[in-house]
Amino acid sequence: MKSSVIKAQLLSKWYGEVIGLNSFNMDAGPGITGIVGPNGAGKSTLFKLIIGMIKPSKGSLDVLGMDPWLNKKLSSKIGFCPDYDNLPDDATGFEFLRLSGGLHGMSGTGLNSRIKEVSRTVGIDYALERKIGGYSKGMRQRIKIAGALLHDPELLLLDEPLSGADPRARRSLIDVIISLNRDSGHDILVSSHVLFEVERMTKDVVLIYKGRAVASGDIYGIRELMDEHPHNIIIEGKGMVELGKRLLELEHTVSVSFDGSKERLRVEVKRPDEFFDNVPEMLLESGGELREMYSQDDNLAAVFRYLVGR
Amino acid sequence: MDITAFVSLTIYKFRKILFNKRVLAALLVGVLVTGVMAYASTLDVVFRDGAILLDVLIISFFLPVVTMFYGSSVIRDEIEDMSITMVITSPMRRWAAYLSYYTALLLSLLLLLFMILTAGFLAFFIPLGLDSNALELYLNMLLLVSIGCVVYSALFLLASVVLERSIYFGLFYAFIWEGFIGSIPGRISEFALKHYIRSIGAGRMELMEFAAASGMTYSFQVLTVVTVVLLAVGIFIFRYKEFPG
Repeated sequence: MKSSVIKAQLLSKWYGEVIGLNSFNMDAGPGITGIVGPNGAGKSTLFKLIIGMIKPSKGSLDVLGMDPWLNKKLSSKIGFCPDYDNLPDDATGFEFLRLSGGLHGMSGTGLNSRIKEVSRTVGIDYALERKIGGYSKGMRQRIKIAGALLHDPELLLLDEPLSGADPRARRSLIDVIISLNRDSGHDILVSSHVLFEVERMTKDVVLIYKGRAVASGDIYGIRELMDEHPHNIIIEGKGMVELGKRLLELEHTVSVSFDGSKERLRVEVKRPDEFFDNVPEMLLESGGELREMYSQDDNLAAVFRYLVGR
Repeated sequence: MDITAFVSLTIYKFRKILFNKRVLAALLVGVLVTGVMAYASTLDVVFRDGAILLDVLIISFFLPVVTMFYGSSVIRDEIEDMSITMVITSPMRRWAAYLSYYTALLLSLLLLLFMILTAGFLAFFIPLGLDSNALELYLNMLLLVSIGCVVYSALFLLASVVLERSIYFGLFYAFIWEGFIGSIPGRISEFALKHYIRSIGAGRMELMEFAAASGMTYSFQVLTVVTVVLLAVGIFIFRYKEFPG
């Protein structure tokens, strides 16, 4: 029988009249658990409750067997990578990690060697002497994860760690997250508004919508629902006309349209993971140049509406 | 663990306060004070005028204004850009974190105001001749600046935790309260902190004219109690504060 890493029962959080989380229930065991929901669903509120930045209005929350509110003993067992950018642009990656380690009571050569180890693990060791202000989005996510990992926490909280990263960085970050669990044994709670990205990391998911857990458990059942609702993907770059023509030939493409300009495609697909696997090759063939590619959460909202019966 | 965290956070914050665009404001104040003092020394002045000028320029005006400028943003900026997350989610206890912010603010203000005071002092007294009286005045002014930094830092740090627009409170307090209330003759001025700082100055130096001065020991006790209460309230509020972002 699995033991609970995070257990929430009828957990609610209100900000004045705004509901952040509403009678939320979850029971996450060891390993990687995905929290999936559209923007504004309550994912970040849940993370802030788990790390003890905010206090529950109602209900109970148990993290590693402890109440997180004002619990500093628990803080040393959790590493938190928030969804917002809280990095000091004027500091180097090394200085940032020195501060992170210092706040966890680490110092001296022990801290320096741990910084080297962790930065290698997340793939940011080559840029530690550079100012964070010059980092790409993917690098910023990596340094945040490194900061959260430095004190070797039992539980890692990664709130939208793939947000804003380009496709290659996303894939690489997913590999890092998987290895943090598989090779280093960290239990991980990771959130995303893109289901198929979470699917690449874990099969255990909790779907959150309007502050409630609307479904939890094995991802495959949820995936089937997902495939019934086309997925919106935006692609920006050069050669989009030719790429659009080729995309239309794919079986899982539902529709292709230009979104405001001829350098911005909106594609509706049924199987996003297959779609993402196909795009690089098609771009090469069509001679196109990719600037940005990201999925929107409209389809996820459709699944949630279905799940809550609206 | 708290000591290592305290030292790390204090050093980091100290650097962040000093190596920031805001330091230009302190440099401008330094240039202004030096210019005024240098110009004053060319006029028909006596030694006492230097003490009065330093009192008016630094103790009564720039001390509360500069501490307000830095103090009211030191934690508020981190709450607004959420960089405080790293501190709040670390095992460092919140009271230690609050005292660390206070220490960093205090040290940086002492450094900046000592530099401003020293520049102004030298600009006036080098032409008149530096002697033991001048040195005594300088040391007493350093003491008053230090006391002022201790108490004003506690006040504006508390404001930066409690108020979303702490800078407006700071502007009101530094310019209206300290500047206006603190200058009203009679007992009303006792509601301003600068009254007690200047009272200590008047108690230590005959040069510093302050007719309505309170007793030196009493003034010191008042400022100590105010500082301790402000820090205690700040720690209490910071300890239980939620950070929803």
